[in-house]
Amino acid sequence: MGLVAADLRVLGNLLTTADGRRVATSTFVGLALFALMSWWVADALVDRPDLLAMLHRETRGGSLQALIGYGLMACPLVATWYGLSLAQRQLFEAPELLLWRLAPQAAVRAPLQALLRASLVSSTWAFALTGPFVGAFLRQSPAPLLAWCMLPLAIVCCTMPLLATLLAVQVALVRWFAGRALRLVLTVVMTLASLGFFAWFLLALFTPSQARVHDIAAAARDAGGLPWTVDTAAAMLSAVATGRFDWRATAGAVGWLAAALGIFLFAARQHPRAWERQLEAAAGFGARFGRRWPAGAAGAVRKKEFAQLLQQPGALLGFVLFPLLVFGLAQRRLLIGGILANPRLPDCVATLGAMLALWFVAVMLVLYAHMGRMAVWDGPQWSLYMASPTPPGRLVRGKLAAIATLMLWPLLVVAVAGGHLLGADRSTLATFLAVAIGGTCAALGVLAALGTWPRLMRPDEGGHVLQGARNFVAAILLVFAFDLVTAPGWLGWIWLDHFARERRLEEHVVRPYAPLLAGAALAWGSLVGVLGAAIGTRHYRRLLTPR
Amino acid sequence: MNDRAPMLETTGLGRAFGKKWALRGLSLRVPEGELYGFLGQNGAGKTTTLRLLAGLLRPSEGTLRIAGLEHGTDGAALRQLLGFVPDTPPLYDYLTGRQYVALVASLWHVDRRQRDERCERLFATLDLSEVADELCRGYSHGMRKKVHLAAVLTTAPRVLLLDEPTTGLDPISTRRLKDLLLAEAAAGTTILLSTHVLEVAEQICHRVGILARGSLCAEGPVAELRQQHGARSLEDVFLSTAGGGD
Repeated sequence: MGLVAADLRVLGNLLTTADGRRVATSTFVGLALFALMSWWVADALVDRPDLLAMLHRETRGGSLQALIGYGLMACPLVATWYGLSLAQRQLFEAPELLLWRLAPQAAVRAPLQALLRASLVSSTWAFALTGPFVGAFLRQSPAPLLAWCMLPLAIVCCTMPLLATLLAVQVALVRWFAGRALRLVLTVVMTLASLGFFAWFLLALFTPSQARVHDIAAAARDAGGLPWTVDTAAAMLSAVATGRFDWRATAGAVGWLAAALGIFLFAARQHPRAWERQLEAAAGFGARFGRRWPAGAAGAVRKKEFAQLLQQPGALLGFVLFPLLVFGLAQRRLLIGGILANPRLPDCVATLGAMLALWFVAVMLVLYAHMGRMAVWDGPQWSLYMASPTPPGRLVRGKLAAIATLMLWPLLVVAVAGGHLLGADRSTLATFLAVAIGGTCAALGVLAALGTWPRLMRPDEGGHVLQGARNFVAAILLVFAFDLVTAPGWLGWIWLDHFARERRLEEHVVRPYAPLLAGAALAWGSLVGVLGAAIGTRHYRRLLTPR
Repeated sequence: MNDRAPMLETTGLGRAFGKKWALRGLSLRVPEGELYGFLGQNGAGKTTTLRLLAGLLRPSEGTLRIAGLEHGTDGAALRQLLGFVPDTPPLYDYLTGRQYVALVASLWHVDRRQRDERCERLFATLDLSEVADELCRGYSHGMRKKVHLAAVLTTAPRVLLLDEPTTGLDPISTRRLKDLLLAEAAAGTTILLSTHVLEVAEQICHRVGILARGSLCAEGPVAELRQQHGARSLEDVFLSTAGGGD
């Protein structure tokens, strides 16, 4: 059994256990959701023949190639995201690396295996994001069977060259510059790649069809509008779809793949040294942080959460940068354009509504990570909590205090975005802050109740919290529960919109209601927060009970 | 035993991590079939030494030869001779014990018949037969170590390196492991192990080396060391040489 066969056997064995099946199911559902979104975006275009005709005119008959190119753009983005985040870990931190390095095989075999794993995963994700979109237009053209057969090749030719090059560059960088500075740089790049990928995904999802067609036409017109690999793969596939075989484009696409593999294999010879240097440079960050720890359990747990965040520069940067997406959304008026343009609402109400919508999105972006903080991420330390005489309520309080502090960041970011980009006045800002603080309390309640729910976070027989098994269900429930506790706000907004249709709302009429709104939001948030904390404490007690 | 041609030989071997030397000036000659034990406090350099010998780290200074092959010149040929059992074995969680052994055997180019024959014998010796077809993710630490040891021994290494081999093993498994190592050494395998369990070293090692702060401060057969230091036990020798003193 070789390394590839072993990995395939692992995939087969994964389905033989309940936990493995859950992991496989959640991955499959995630891929299916991506594929569904890709199809939805394509379908919105297919349903607009006028826009497609416009695209045909603007691209001088090259609309199919332009559309395929646009669809294939997901491939290098996935490669960048994966190559700079998870693949980096596989290259230097996979548990099996030790065995691969000890075995009497060529020095490039271990990194090649990491590349193969990364290629399989990133190509699968790229296929989910690209396949339905490109497939919709291949079906519409209609394309011959050969084009469908060459779609996976086109995706691999757009994904692997960049992935292989990124991994080669990382091997070389670690080989010669390993150290804290490089770790920090790679972490920043990794976080930016993750942020960029999700920003692209959100923007791609919410861009209106007309603007999308303009983007596609612009990319097709510009010489450097698409990356070379995407351009050649799109030319290859569109030619086959129209019954021709473009040898030059095919050779170009495969040539990029071969060249990138050559570069990777050349750099991979340095992998043993790079791995060694990576081990040497594996010291933690911020070792001096937190010399004066609080004596109380809740305070110590709170400080532990901050210390852990500081020890993980990726998580810290993600936490800092993700809410900044809000600035992008506010600048492009995405999601909030309709609210701001509503002529029946006074400016202050529209601005407040837009800011609250942005805050809701910003919180949604970080909520799932915070849920992990409640119990799941403490899996390895769980036996310590179980053995400790500390009442569960204090542990929950410490964790909620840490999360509450961290959740002030999205609130602050939206307040600044509202003041600078949306022109919110002081009174609107004050109302926003009060309502958002109430919403933050409600979010904390949801986190406390769900992040500790034994059905989702049950410890395994070894006393560790089971990780990664119920992630998808937990995420769906979290979104649903947060929607539910913020429902009064949504319902109030819908009522206000209906009211404004019947009677024009004036600013001087709504202003006096601002303190009432703020008070109601704070009261509701406090109620949900206290209830959630009580449920969370009860859950924690059950989690800490020996099984 | 020391007069025989060395299977493993190091001269002034040293390894620095940044400005700190984890190991310095280690000169060893271990003949074929010898069972050599490294003793030392935490951080003394035992694991670094084993990782250097396994080819996972490059020496910062000094030379290292195994079976006449120099470290760094013929990596694949050298690794073919070596077996390394680290403290945390690199098992695949979603392979069974038997599948893992098959993987390791194929990486070391062991043919199927030999693999199956050795695997069955080793699984029986190490009391793993009943769990051989279970996924490695369910194994305890001791079982993971035993499975990796079985996998490594299936490749019939000429030099076997073991980092804390008895950690996590129950008394019966420890006894079986000691018997197995003695049998392997008698069959000509050169074995180097690091351990904190002085009784294990005392019972099975032909010679021991005591490392302190990255240097070898005492070396020889246990009886000889006891005599040299006027000590009643290996523990007394260890305390007097490795820094315990009192």
